[in-house]
Amino acid sequence: MNQRMPQDNNVVIQSLTQIGNCGLFLLTLLAAIPRSLRYIRETIRQLWFVGAMSLTIIMVCGLFVGMVLMLQLYHVLSIFGGTSASGMVVALSVYRELGPVVTALLFAGRAGTSVTAEIGLMRATDQIDAMELMAVDPVAYVATPRFLAGLIAMPLLTCVFCAMAILGGHLIGVTWLGIDNGTFWSNMTAEVDLHTDIVNGVLFKSLAFGAVVSLIAVFQGFATPPTSEGVARATTRTVVASSIAILALDFVLTAFLM
Amino acid sequence: MTDSVHATPDDSMLVRIRGLTTVLGGKTIFSDLDMDIPRGKITAIMGPSGTGKTTLLKHITGQMRADAGRIVVDGQNVAELSREKLYEMREGIGYLFQNSALLTDFDVFENVAFPLRQHTQLPEVLIRNLVLLKLQAVGLRGAAALMPSELSGGMARRVALARAIVFDPMLILYDEPFVGLDPVALNQVLKLIRTLNQTLGITSVLVAHELAAIRQIAHHVFLIANGKVVAQGDPKTIADDGSPWTRQFFGGEADGPVPFQYPAGNYAQALGFAGAAK
Repeated sequence: MNQRMPQDNNVVIQSLTQIGNCGLFLLTLLAAIPRSLRYIRETIRQLWFVGAMSLTIIMVCGLFVGMVLMLQLYHVLSIFGGTSASGMVVALSVYRELGPVVTALLFAGRAGTSVTAEIGLMRATDQIDAMELMAVDPVAYVATPRFLAGLIAMPLLTCVFCAMAILGGHLIGVTWLGIDNGTFWSNMTAEVDLHTDIVNGVLFKSLAFGAVVSLIAVFQGFATPPTSEGVARATTRTVVASSIAILALDFVLTAFLM
Repeated sequence: MTDSVHATPDDSMLVRIRGLTTVLGGKTIFSDLDMDIPRGKITAIMGPSGTGKTTLLKHITGQMRADAGRIVVDGQNVAELSREKLYEMREGIGYLFQNSALLTDFDVFENVAFPLRQHTQLPEVLIRNLVLLKLQAVGLRGAAALMPSELSGGMARRVALARAIVFDPMLILYDEPFVGLDPVALNQVLKLIRTLNQTLGITSVLVAHELAAIRQIAHHVFLIANGKVVAQGDPKTIADDGSPWTRQFFGGEADGPVPFQYPAGNYAQALGFAGAAK
């Protein structure tokens, strides 16, 4: 994949070219999925690296997000005497927005950058060319397993994040601030809708974010100039582009799914 | 340029290049270049840095497409091959990278086994035996469990060579195989290239600058410069053909047909001496 980036000084044209190349790369990636099925072990290995290895940061961040959310909500809702609704509001905020969005941002920082750097270094050290010359398709062997792994890992990580955030909210609300345990859970279960909040909020959004982050990470790795500076720039671009894409896509999805 | 390339599988020339023209970033790399690489021989390609020697290897393997001309490998026009056919052809070609290009996630054994695992359904016992056979051939059977980061430059290149020959290819392309090697490692690689050619009859193409090493093993040398073959012949006598190209390249002269100065504008003018250009 020796994609030569056009040297245009116009930032808008450069960005549009990048988006266009990324779209073409997605088509190549999707076309390679049938060929990559024979590398199922590589996909599982990548699932371990991008999914299981991201668990610690996701769990810790989820816990703290839930804790701080409960703390803020309790103080605001106590003004109106509505502290009993704190648990429900924490759950809805986490399921609908914070869970998928924060998980995706963390995923981009933890797994996306490592995927870009790994593929970029493989290019810089001719490993991708070596695969081509050994008649092994690098898109099917390197790119697609990482893309699929990200796609599978993101919903699972989002579920873990949400569970930890609810736990954090429970710890602060019930254990520390004294909200009744029964009220906390019953309000939450009464208001959370399986389709709107869990399927649309958690699963659909996280799948979309997983696809976008993985695509950007893999594309940046393949498109990077094979130099140390190129790899560093590509890694930065992965974080910046992923963050913007996640937040923009979140707005679009929320507008359509609400 | 010859209009027809009479290439059949039993042709004495394994690679035939006709009228190769390549322009990269506005710079002409090859201009109507012709070259024949005979079967079963060691052919060296030499030339000043930046003349496109590695690019030529990339054309032979189909990694790069030419702007004009054609390259026929074992009777097949590389530019006309489908992706599947191109990959099929590459299974018969070994390629030794300058930096070895070993897969850093895998140990030495798995690096050599990689092509076998990707393209065959051989039982594990057979894969193990084949890999150990190739590692023994390059003298590194004892290093099978080492990771690429634990290898010296010479060892890494020998592992890459073992990987390149794991399918007993018809053709091996060596991209600067001697660069950065100490005399012992250089002689080891040299011996391996010769042995592979003599015992298995593998056609070898070497891109290298080390004339002393080339003289020991190569049957034929091409000197390319300015996008063309400027000299060719026996490695022992090519330096004496009297052309300014061979005199400069093999004599190691700093200036000549390959200029010392990179093309630039008027020097005095660049230094700001008004009217100096006139």
